[in-house]
Amino acid sequence: MMELRIILLIVIGLIAIWFGWRVFRTDSMVRSAFSLLASMVAVGAMFLVMEAEFLGVLQIMMMGTEMSIMAIFMMMYMMDPGGLGEMDMTHQEKPSIIVAVIFGGISLAVILLTKWGDIIAEAPTPAQQNHDLGIEVMKRSMMIFESAGFSILTAMVAALATALIIHNNQIEKN
Amino acid sequence: MVLTVALIIGTILFGIGLYGALSQTNLVMIMMGVELMLGASMLNLVAFWRYLHPEVYSIQMFVLVVMTVMALEAAVGFAIGTQRFRSKGSVESEEAADLKG
Repeated sequence: MMELRIILLIVIGLIAIWFGWRVFRTDSMVRSAFSLLASMVAVGAMFLVMEAEFLGVLQIMMMGTEMSIMAIFMMMYMMDPGGLGEMDMTHQEKPSIIVAVIFGGISLAVILLTKWGDIIAEAPTPAQQNHDLGIEVMKRSMMIFESAGFSILTAMVAALATALIIHNNQIEKN
Repeated sequence: MVLTVALIIGTILFGIGLYGALSQTNLVMIMMGVELMLGASMLNLVAFWRYLHPEVYSIQMFVLVVMTVMALEAAVGFAIGTQRFRSKGSVESEEAADLKG
């Protein structure tokens, strides 16, 4: 069972990495938005493999909507949404690659050199997990959960306030 | 072994996201890089929860908070992009030198 899980993790992980790489390597903006969607859905599938059913389904549903919205915004704001002009859309590419590789090397060393302790073979059943997560949300982490809700409200107000056109304290009607 | 595999995949995803966030010129592409990085960190958290502490649910709570951050980042980022596009006609970071303080 564990071997099957490792194989599934590797295969789905490679899919996630491949699509994550395609995001920055394609000229078409719609393609890059949907590559990110595929990458995020693969991450959600990895949650499912790791038996976090609630989080996996939540991830797939959230990313499905978020990336579709992102694709629309991409087409609105890109100079060249179809990628036909073959514009170069990168800057400081070499330093970015160096930073990413150095970061990857350091965290690889940390991953491989740390003794992570014993792997626990059995996870709680999905029903048990949902029950316990609900208890956690309503008891110990209630303040955190409420702050998350409040920050969503704040971000909604902030996003609207940023995006609206306001002249002399009056919202422009058009 | 299985934990290591999950963590390595998370690291590679984070590295790709870091590269994207640093190297892209368009605001929306930078946001995509940040989303990839946040996704990779969620992957790490879930792996730690599953294989080291399946009985601690504050880790799942943390994943929920990271998901909230992803949604908020997209909302506020697009709002800034909308305003910037309206006033300057582009969201390229190369053309945003006037934001320099």
